Amino acid sequence: MLSPYRVLDLTRSRGHLCGQILGDLGADVVQVEPPGGAPTRRRGPFVDDAPHPDRSLEWWAVARNKRGVTLDLDRARGRELLLRLVAAADFLIESETPGVQAARGLDYAALAAANPGLVYVSITPFGQTGPKAAWADSDLVLLAAGGPLRLTGDEDRAPLRVGVPQAYAHAAAEAAGAALVAHHERARSGRGQHVDVSAQQAVTLATQAYLLSSAVGFPDARRISGGAGMGPLSVRFVHPAADGHVSITFLFGSSVGPFTRRLMHWVAEEGGCDAATRDKDWVRFFDQLFTGEETFAELVRVQEAVAGFTRTKTKAELLRAALERDLLIAPVATTREVVENAQLAARDYWRTLAHPELDRAVRYPGPFARPSRTPLRYRRRPPMVGEHNREILGGELGLDDAELARLAAGGVI
Amino acid sequence: MSEAALADVKVLDLMWAIAGPAATRMLADYGATVVRVESTTRTDICRTVAPFHELPPESESAVLFHEMNAGKRMITLDLGTPAGREVALDLVRWADVVTEAYSAGTMHALGFGYEALRAVNPSIIMLSTCLMGQTGPLAAYAGFGNLAHSITGFGALCGWPDRAPAGPFGAYTDYIAPRFSAIAILAALDHRRRTGEGQHIDLAQAEAAIHFLGPAMLDYTVNGRVWTAAGNADHDAAPHGVYPAAGDDRWIAIAVRDDAEFAALAAALGDPTLARDPRFATIEARRANLDALDAVVAAWTAARDPHAAETALQAAGVPAAVVAGSADLCADPQLVHRQHVRQLTHPTYGTTPVENARSRLSRTPAMVAGAAPTLGRDNHEVLETILGYDADRIADLVVAGALG
Repeated sequence: MLSPYRVLDLTRSRGHLCGQILGDLGADVVQVEPPGGAPTRRRGPFVDDAPHPDRSLEWWAVARNKRGVTLDLDRARGRELLLRLVAAADFLIESETPGVQAARGLDYAALAAANPGLVYVSITPFGQTGPKAAWADSDLVLLAAGGPLRLTGDEDRAPLRVGVPQAYAHAAAEAAGAALVAHHERARSGRGQHVDVSAQQAVTLATQAYLLSSAVGFPDARRISGGAGMGPLSVRFVHPAADGHVSITFLFGSSVGPFTRRLMHWVAEEGGCDAATRDKDWVRFFDQLFTGEETFAELVRVQEAVAGFTRTKTKAELLRAALERDLLIAPVATTREVVENAQLAARDYWRTLAHPELDRAVRYPGPFARPSRTPLRYRRRPPMVGEHNREILGGELGLDDAELARLAAGGVI
Repeated sequence: MSEAALADVKVLDLMWAIAGPAATRMLADYGATVVRVESTTRTDICRTVAPFHELPPESESAVLFHEMNAGKRMITLDLGTPAGREVALDLVRWADVVTEAYSAGTMHALGFGYEALRAVNPSIIMLSTCLMGQTGPLAAYAGFGNLAHSITGFGALCGWPDRAPAGPFGAYTDYIAPRFSAIAILAALDHRRRTGEGQHIDLAQAEAAIHFLGPAMLDYTVNGRVWTAAGNADHDAAPHGVYPAAGDDRWIAIAVRDDAEFAALAAALGDPTLARDPRFATIEARRANLDALDAVVAAWTAARDPHAAETALQAAGVPAAVVAGSADLCADPQLVHRQHVRQLTHPTYGTTPVENARSRLSRTPAMVAGAAPTLGRDNHEVLETILGYDADRIADLVVAGALG
């Protein structure tokens, strides 16, 4: 869908996913790395646990559908070559701490002078300006600063993050959307602009508007293992299964109550609760909690009865019942179970890219969307360090082999 | 000031809950005209989820609903009535984009499948988003984001090694999928601008969300290794965790990734010798002596106000942040600087708070046009101004029960 467009991706460790998303949509994405490769390449896990800059799986997860060149942007010659690439670029993505690109003469103002149509995207921890703009960051720190961390975990222990970094994934996806908004506007005006994305602000979406509760005098959400404490209500989603856990949307109201009613009929059928419990008004149950017709203690008792029931079933049995009886139950899946998921297999989700340099084929997470006319294509495996220096710096900028060799010897590429 | 970035984009939004409306909220922030269709009998679940303006909750008191639908127009329509369906088809003729988040097959059964929409608007872009996609054995599987995050692996990776899965919070994939929905719509608009072609986009929440777990998935497909829940541990950092602070349920997150950051931490803790202590001098040593290290850090943090500890650690260059709750977030100087919380005029509550757009465009910034519609607020505006219906036709729709 974006095949006419060129993206220069200057991200080093934050926000690589943004360029990959645009690449998955067909854009020609050129990842610009420092000589030796992006720092992300030094992070594990590695293929066969053998550390090597071309074998980092953290890198592979965010570098597909990109070409790669190395350029030292702290040297004048490196910046000069970058500026020649900028002249023909539609998007530039960078993730340096605010001020770093300005010191190099590579901030938006400088590059817009060279290419007024450029959409220049900055992904930073806290945004371009403000009292925390220069603060130190990490995934955990940003999840704390943006709110989702406090909502997750066991009541009697510290708040918890997901074991795969999330903050810059949120920021990168936010940035890709905002870049396309600016791109849409550019089609009318011919002008680019600066897109400023803060990872702290991006992750606030994961508070599900709980960020706003104090603004209306409502109590903060409480973290509850496998659930959520919302005002006086404690909702438990994670329930035990015979071979692991499942998640159940145990809620009420006109749209969800009927699912809960069907679940309680199944529980009762198999002796997990009595008829009176089964026959509660699950559509109106939420309102009844607030009018006093039902009590929060009674809700806890019912949730415990459901947990006692699910404990006797396997994850597969519970999923089958969800399909047959139209219930809101899903297995808590391991990564192995995700990769082996029959639905994803039926949709040919996992996509294989050949890695001839390692003599193997690798299955990657598949297309994030399926547009009927313009399917997402997996065109390129992640680039090796400097793999496309000759193709781009030579083929496009016209540097000859002798010049490329001099730049390499001088540490510019 | 330039015209809003998406001022020329018209969206008919048949979605509900969070994952769908969050995507169209982003488009509305940048100036798209979004008309949502709501049912008066099958209430949007966001109207029943806390936080609330008041207890017991009323239909307009849910802050989450305001958050998801600010800046949009709304019409109540009963798609089961012939007259309601005619109105919906007129909106399809008007729109550039139709979005829906029903279970797979529902739109087709209602007579609003992609082919039916294309018959009245050949260049329409239709986005269908549901949990598992429009095809396959689980296509009809209904569900919310808490189910999608479980079935895609987030749940198993969020917890303590000795406990049941603890998270992530809420409908986690609902905070991922909308970004990909907005991206797919904007890319399809670009394709249409260049070629005139519309299309149907099938976006499975699960398939999009898996991209946020890339390294764990590749470690299985490449190395056969299954990651398990590991608390807050990080294989490249130590100390790395959430430490108690003074106060009731107050915490501070600290992440130290290299020796330089550890030296800065040691200095901030008032004991620079820690950086030379053989138990802590290298990352390998710190990881091997993690319990002792965590005890040293926690002894310092537990005696301090979390904000004071955060300030001291950041001043030393140590990545650290208060584990922020709502009051911290609403007062956070950085979020205030970015005008993250906006107060909008609301007919019932005087004002209602919403979060601002999560990106800043320098020349065409986001503008939250107004509070989310109350049920039926915009019916006449949509019918008169957008569809050009006259008073008689609108009266007929009311009589026919189409606006329900």
